[in-house]
Amino acid sequence: MESQSKDGVAPSTSPFMPMFERFRAELDEHHDRRERIIKASRDITAASKKIIFTLQRIRKLNEALPQHAIKSNKQYQDTIQSQIASVSGDLQCLHTYRYSRQISGGCQEWMEAACFQHYLETTTLLSYDDAAEKFRQLDEAGSGIELSPEDWLLGVYDMTGELMRFAITTMATTGELLKPSGSSQSDDDGMDVDGQAHRQRSVLTDLRELRAALESLNVGTGPFAKDCEKKLAVMQTSVEKVEKALYGLVVRGAERPKGWMPEIGDAGGGGRAVEVEG
Amino acid sequence: MTANENSMIPPGVFESLQRKIDDDSAVKDALREIVQELEKQDRSTQATLSRAHSTTSADLPRVVSSAQANIEQEVQTIHKLSEVASKHPYYKYNYAWTRHVQDVCYSILLCGWLGGFGKSEVGQLLSMEDVGGIMGVPVNVKDRDVFHLTIEEYLLALTSLLDELARLARNSVTLGDYRRPLQIAQFTKDVHAGFQVLNLKNDALRKRSDGIKYRVKEVEDVVYDLSLRGLLPKE
Repeated sequence: MESQSKDGVAPSTSPFMPMFERFRAELDEHHDRRERIIKASRDITAASKKIIFTLQRIRKLNEALPQHAIKSNKQYQDTIQSQIASVSGDLQCLHTYRYSRQISGGCQEWMEAACFQHYLETTTLLSYDDAAEKFRQLDEAGSGIELSPEDWLLGVYDMTGELMRFAITTMATTGELLKPSGSSQSDDDGMDVDGQAHRQRSVLTDLRELRAALESLNVGTGPFAKDCEKKLAVMQTSVEKVEKALYGLVVRGAERPKGWMPEIGDAGGGGRAVEVEG
Repeated sequence: MTANENSMIPPGVFESLQRKIDDDSAVKDALREIVQELEKQDRSTQATLSRAHSTTSADLPRVVSSAQANIEQEVQTIHKLSEVASKHPYYKYNYAWTRHVQDVCYSILLCGWLGGFGKSEVGQLLSMEDVGGIMGVPVNVKDRDVFHLTIEEYLLALTSLLDELARLARNSVTLGDYRRPLQIAQFTKDVHAGFQVLNLKNDALRKRSDGIKYRVKEVEDVVYDLSLRGLLPKE
């Protein structure tokens, strides 16, 4: 096939054509698959974000999700399931890792939503094994997509941001930090939030526990470690935001007239709603 | 990180994650060691092959056989690499060696073009299957998760071959060999035509293959210089 001796003949087609045509078919297949996965990943990400929005409207801990939340998230769960079903076949065997970078974004965002929901329902951290199993089961007919430990961890990092928003919104609207025990919405002036009983858990103590665990993790070197480093800094800021908000609540809470409620409109904007009231 | 009952974090969650990360680092270290050896060996092969630029056709076989002996050592290292890598999903750590396997592939292609690996004459292209055979690894595997040579690695190595041949075209003239530039010109054009049928995305392969047209021009310039002066051999 590769005869070069016919220099003067000026052949119109290259002797390598059959080989390259085979390559073209292979590369096309690869690119098509890659694009399908990227698209699915984006859709999973978008649906997961919407689920998180719904979850952020919940004000109770350690209870099953209210019906309205389940109902409004149903469509997004369905989207995630159908997207996973559409590409799980593309992500088997050799291809699991070949395209792991393309699906990773969706996996992380799903993990963030699943982890947040799991915390709201149980006030515990969704473990890697449970998360991976849950994720696999989303693909009812196929063999599912593997959730990598890396994506699990990056999802956990992002979830701390949701916990921060949840804690601050709750503080701003109810005047206290929610305790995982759930029922202890006791005192009316909001003074007991954290200081009163040190052993009592709150969203803040959970955040701190998570922070300590994440900080003591040795993630090694490489691109994954770099991702972790960035997310670690964001996570630390999140914890501090809650601490500052709580400080504001404790130090100025006493001056707050009974029954006073901050403007709901400010609630989402971090600690501001709490600080305004002084 | 207390794992008592009144804790948000279920016991063992981060400990088992830490173990996974540590295992991962150990694999990377083991692979790095092998890849570094491969890199060292390939440098020496490349040094041998670069003597082709200053060697006349008559003496070329000696260069080629010496390079081939070097490549045989590299193949042994690839065998070691394949053994370690095969314990894990191929693409999980593929980034750790793909560039180096590509370099070895290029050495093999160049050596083959110069008449090595049983190619009786200069100017032949070893197919991807040929290279896989020399390396002792399967090629373009799709249905099982094993160590192999990928199409991308082969094609990237092929662009490196064209870079080197453009240089060789000029240096052949310096050595008084006016036939080889013609041979290289035809070969480069043929490979270029092949690359043009590929639908490439915006990736490394696209970037490298975009450079081929400059190699075509470079070699054509050499042929032009020769023909202008009536130096081209008469067929």
